[in-house]
Amino acid sequence: MAYLFVPLHSASYTTLNVPGFKGAYNSAWAGYVSAIMTTVMLSMYGFLLVNSGIKKDIDTEVGLIIACTPISDFSYLLSKMLSNLMVLLTIVCCTFVVSIIMFFMRGSGYAFVLANFVVPYLILAVPAMFLVASLAVLAEVFLGKKNVLQFLIYFMLFGITMAAINSRGANNLMTLIDPFGLKTITSSIAHEISSQFHTDIQNPSFGFIFSGQKPFKVFIYEGIHWQLPFLISRLLWVGVSILLVYFSSFFFHRFDFKQTAVSKKPVAEVRQTNGPNLAAAGINRSLMPPVVTDYSIFPFVKTELLLLIRKGNKWFWLVNIGLWLAMCFAPLAIAHAYLLPVLWFLQVTRWSDLATKEKTNRLHYFTFAAYRPLFRILPAQILSGVILAIAMALPLLLRYAIAADLYSIVNLINGAVLVIVLAVAIGIITGGKKLYEIIFFMLTYAVINKLSFADYLGSMVHGNRIGYIVILTGLNAAALLLSFMVRSYQSRHL
Amino acid sequence: MVLEIKNLTKKYNKHKTGLTDYSITLENGILGLLGPNGAGKSTLMKIISTISKPTQGTLFLDGIDIVRNPGHIRKILGYLPQDFGVYPNLNAYEFLKYIAAMKGVGGRGLNQRIEVLLEGVNLMADAKRPIGTYSGGMKQRIGIAQALLNDPKVLIFDEPTVGLDPEERVRFRQLITELADDCIIILSSHIVSDIETIADEVAVMQGGRLITKGSQQDIMKHAENKVFEVLVAPALMPEFKSKYSVIDTSRQQDQVRVRYISELNATAPSSTPVKAGLEDAYLFLTQSNV
Ligand SMILES: Nc1ncnc2c1ncn2[C@@H]1O[C@H](COP(=O)(O)OP(=O)(O)OP(=O)(O)O)[C@@H](O)[C@H]1O
Ligand SMILES: [Mg+2]
Repeated sequence: MAYLFVPLHSASYTTLNVPGFKGAYNSAWAGYVSAIMTTVMLSMYGFLLVNSGIKKDIDTEVGLIIACTPISDFSYLLSKMLSNLMVLLTIVCCTFVVSIIMFFMRGSGYAFVLANFVVPYLILAVPAMFLVASLAVLAEVFLGKKNVLQFLIYFMLFGITMAAINSRGANNLMTLIDPFGLKTITSSIAHEISSQFHTDIQNPSFGFIFSGQKPFKVFIYEGIHWQLPFLISRLLWVGVSILLVYFSSFFFHRFDFKQTAVSKKPVAEVRQTNGPNLAAAGINRSLMPPVVTDYSIFPFVKTELLLLIRKGNKWFWLVNIGLWLAMCFAPLAIAHAYLLPVLWFLQVTRWSDLATKEKTNRLHYFTFAAYRPLFRILPAQILSGVILAIAMALPLLLRYAIAADLYSIVNLINGAVLVIVLAVAIGIITGGKKLYEIIFFMLTYAVINKLSFADYLGSMVHGNRIGYIVILTGLNAAALLLSFMVRSYQSRHL
Repeated sequence: MVLEIKNLTKKYNKHKTGLTDYSITLENGILGLLGPNGAGKSTLMKIISTISKPTQGTLFLDGIDIVRNPGHIRKILGYLPQDFGVYPNLNAYEFLKYIAAMKGVGGRGLNQRIEVLLEGVNLMADAKRPIGTYSGGMKQRIGIAQALLNDPKVLIFDEPTVGLDPEERVRFRQLITELADDCIIILSSHIVSDIETIADEVAVMQGGRLITKGSQQDIMKHAENKVFEVLVAPALMPEFKSKYSVIDTSRQQDQVRVRYISELNATAPSSTPVKAGLEDAYLFLTQSNV
């Protein structure tokens, strides 16, 4: 996981954007900027990493054992929060180490000051991770298994917070309330620049801004003189995090669920009808028709589709149908660039365990003992995923067909395949679904923000049409090949 | 049919060994596998089912190497894993159809097969609701039904009676005995009485090794003239337990009736010899091998 974040965060060094200026690469700049970027990135994606601690206990039924131990709800949730925190802090440590290594590798000639790395990480990243860890617990307590809803609400909150931080109105209160401590950094950078160049600049902003090569001036950043109120505000955030966990402990279900689909008949009644049957027990083998072998994959495709469709809350289909209808009538470009990627992303939990659910549902005993599972079950899984993705894109496909736009049709189909083979490949390789969910989210975020390198469904204009198609198809083929190779290795090395 | 297992060893990692140099030969009929937790019963069954590969050793079914050629046994295999899961969103029909597809069973008769099986494990009344809402025993019965889908000739049941109520236990035993004529059936259990009533042969294993295998009479001979009963005052029980291996205790007024194992010449005073059962023999074998 850390591996994922390192290139990601180093790639986003450019995202601390001060128009027209760049910081000299000294210890303070390297340490502070990597600390901020780690804080922001981990606050955004770290939530996805840790928001399933309680769910794991539910799935493994360890929860039931916990429920009858004397542990209090608060201690249990706190321990979950702390283990979330450990995961996040491990990643923070990794990026911390990497940022130091990077500093030496770049060899900018400035002196290495360890404190300029340690202090911002400690003061900015750690309290923020407290908050993320406790929000993950909060989300699980209140929203339970509604994963997608958790994501959406969290990212809305995150977006609002970031917007508030990026807004110009810099006042002291804002600085203290800001959970990531970013305002402090950005205004100190702005201050530094204006004192060095006597220009009043806009506050630096965060976000994926790729502003090409423009001339810039270099300024020297020396870090921050931390002020007591700010330090106290960090401690307050840690306190708030723990309070949030305490608050949620009053609403914790303690693994006591209502049966979701209760049997219509009371148990006693079933028993009664069973009683007289006992004499006729056993299997009447003479009634059994002879075994007919049938190695087609269509029964799998059917079952996999059933599983895909039934997954999650069925009311969610109302949202899906709403978006689907909207795609029929919205302007073509909007439907393609926004509605479809969003609709596809909303299915993320349907697809993310496409190839791993045998294992998580402990059905792999059956699967791996089946007749040629590699060439029957895996293709069926991929096929059913693609069928669903294409069904969702159907309005667009039809509209492009009417417009005789073959290029877009090919792109859409390639995109549908990509979304699925990505899920399958990542699922098979990592054995889990988290990484795919995160990557798919980032992909969707990037596509909606019109970053052309992330355009997996051809919603943007590309210079070389054929080249684009070739690249996408190649990616799909590579992911497919990889999945088959790894799965075949796995089924031989159980 | 003959299943020949020779010198099987399964190492999970450097320190964990599931089976050590295990050899056994099976023919048509029911073999009961007895052994304490961690004895390697599930490990053995997984290897026979070709789910897991042995580190060393060979398995031959009618002369065909099934480690190299797992397809040969998979076609005629029915396996009930000890710890299996289901897709909670499918109902019993859909689930069995899915497993049938895995086993390559299909055709027009499939629906009828499934109905006969569901009838056989007494799940017809609940066949149309999601398996996620089943009770533990009902889920176990679905597992039994799926093992029988392809008319198997080698049937492996890992603790099949777990979670079944007494009625269903009886039903399961009947079902097994009916199938036994032309199949190799292996079942493991902790409940000696479950195996006692139906197994043609019993294999006792411990610590990844086979201790003994034979007919029930053969096994019981191990404990012959070694089982005794005596009345002991409750206060003296700890001392008694430290001296003898106790099989069973029951309260009798203010004393405890103790069933224990001992050599004939070393019994506690005023003990009476009793006839040894399979359970006594099993406990004798596993305790004396510790
Ligand atoms: N996947 C595994 N990895 C490592 N060790 C394992 C694994 N599966 C089993 N073992 C070890 O192998 C040994 C035999 O286990 P096995 O499951 O075969 O026992 P068992 O006889 O089925 O026990 P039980 O009656 O509890 O089901 C045990 O010591 C166990 O710890
Ligand atoms: Mg076992």
